[in-house]
Amino acid sequence: MTDLQGVLRIMLTSRSLGRHSMARTLMTLCVVLGLWGCVASSPAQQRLADTPVADFSGHWEVDYARSDSVQTQLNSTFSDIQRQARRQRDAAEKGVTYQGLPLGDVDTILALAKMAELVTASDLLVVHQDIAFVRIDRENSFALVCDIREGQTSGTQLGQETCWWDGQQLHFSIDLPEGLSIRHRFIRSADGALLAQRTRLSTRGRQRDFEVSRIFSRFEPGNRGYQCINTLSRGRVCSTESAPSDASL
Amino acid sequence: MRLCAVVLVLLWCAGCTTQPDPETVIATAQDNQSMETPWEGQLLVIADSSSSPVLDVGVVLFDPGVDAEDDSPAATVRRLESKLLAGQLRDALAESNQWGVVRMVPTASALAPVNIRSQIIKSDGRDLVLRVNAIDAAGTVVFDHLIGHRETLAGEGFADIFNAISNRLLQWWQQQSARDRASLLFLSEVRYAQQLAPDAFIGLAEQVDGKWELQRLPADNDPMMRRVDRIRNQEYLFCDTVDQQYVELWERVGGTYALWRDAGREQAYWLDAYEARVRARGDRSDDSRYARMQAEYAAYRSYRMQEQAWFELAKALDGETQPSVIETADRVVTLEGTLDVQYETWRRLLRDIFAAEQGLEK
Repeated sequence: MTDLQGVLRIMLTSRSLGRHSMARTLMTLCVVLGLWGCVASSPAQQRLADTPVADFSGHWEVDYARSDSVQTQLNSTFSDIQRQARRQRDAAEKGVTYQGLPLGDVDTILALAKMAELVTASDLLVVHQDIAFVRIDRENSFALVCDIREGQTSGTQLGQETCWWDGQQLHFSIDLPEGLSIRHRFIRSADGALLAQRTRLSTRGRQRDFEVSRIFSRFEPGNRGYQCINTLSRGRVCSTESAPSDASL
Repeated sequence: MRLCAVVLVLLWCAGCTTQPDPETVIATAQDNQSMETPWEGQLLVIADSSSSPVLDVGVVLFDPGVDAEDDSPAATVRRLESKLLAGQLRDALAESNQWGVVRMVPTASALAPVNIRSQIIKSDGRDLVLRVNAIDAAGTVVFDHLIGHRETLAGEGFADIFNAISNRLLQWWQQQSARDRASLLFLSEVRYAQQLAPDAFIGLAEQVDGKWELQRLPADNDPMMRRVDRIRNQEYLFCDTVDQQYVELWERVGGTYALWRDAGREQAYWLDAYEARVRARGDRSDDSRYARMQAEYAAYRSYRMQEQAWFELAKALDGETQPSVIETADRVVTLEGTLDVQYETWRRLLRDIFAAEQGLEK
């Protein structure tokens, strides 16, 4: 990640970012205001769907072969930025106003990428679900809990959490006070064997988000030979399970 | 700063308290004083033997201060606390050896000459705010206090509060003349009899200016009063059942409740420490963007993980009520529902028995 950062810094310092025309600023403002209007008018309650919630319950482990790697996503983001920077430079040389998205700043993109690694670090999910609630226990992190009938918003001075079911996906949105926003979307495959978790991170006032997908496949915990539980006094405690043949001895 | 915060919490909670019923209004003049009363470090005044005449005390199960329909884990804990804290108060009073029988009762009644009623205003493992008042059989408010207590991180428990309540009650009892003491005990008996059969005992005690006063005493050999005593003993049976349930409840959930309080306290102190760290750091403009995001997310994650562990504990404290099985001389009665409902059912049953024996109309 450090090498890429260096390459990108060199690339971006050569660009002509300082020349923003008034027209472009206004256009950006309109787009931002338009998007803001969409967001503001769609609270969790309005996004709720009548469609029955898919059954997410069970044990899930990450499928690395099907999942994005944060590094790959970052490379892709930087390639995209590189292309945009080139177009921007070409446009500037021709004296044409550049119409594309702003490039975003490298520090923020890198920070979001590192944060994406952090917030999607859980390799195991255990989902408990009933008619009213879904609870996604994530290894080494807090559980995502949602009242799927009415959606849910809970907030403290440390952050605000919102969730809702839109008819196809289960959404969790976490907004932290200094502007970091984390959106998780969970989608189950039609056959119920796979669970996709798409996580989008963004910061207030920055146009470029960072998204990473992780695919989980279902597993039966009894087949692993060990079982772990979280305890208050001793943290995570794992114990081996007796093999089926042991029972007959 | 900390002191200011506690005072603010107390003042805020004072604003949230429900209006006391007319019986408690009498004590409002004492409220301002009680807000300033130091409750910490109170040692229980223990007697070699209880003073004569002995005063029985009723400890009403605490009002949990949550909606009856609220089935959230926090409300479940509150309902449990209402029994556990009442039990601790009962234990402190009994330990003082100053009183006759100290019984836990679901609702205040004339069963005991003095009842202590409490409401939990706030309880989060660190701060406990209680509204506590004691009312005698005449309807006089002995004291009415808003008590705030903040535990240290180590968690020293609530003994100071309950010791203080016992000491306050003792202070009042010692100020009563021998005549007033005897009068209160008689009044309690008469009021109990009147509640069983108002028409049969009319005129023995009457309300004057909102307070009950003893007008005359029943004859020593009044057969009806003997039956009242028998019924009263039956009601004590119910109180013994409540007592037994408390002991069983404490054995079952006492350890988990202590863990719940520890977790709540740690969470509250952790949040304070986090906010202090954030304030000390200022705008953290020197930190990298990732360091700021990471710190903020780590704080949120820690808080949520602690909170969820806390709620798991709360759920573990099963709030279901147990049926009470009471064996009387000739029958076994099983009472269902909340303790309040069970108590009311039992008292109605006793009134019916009394009425049947006396040939009175129900």
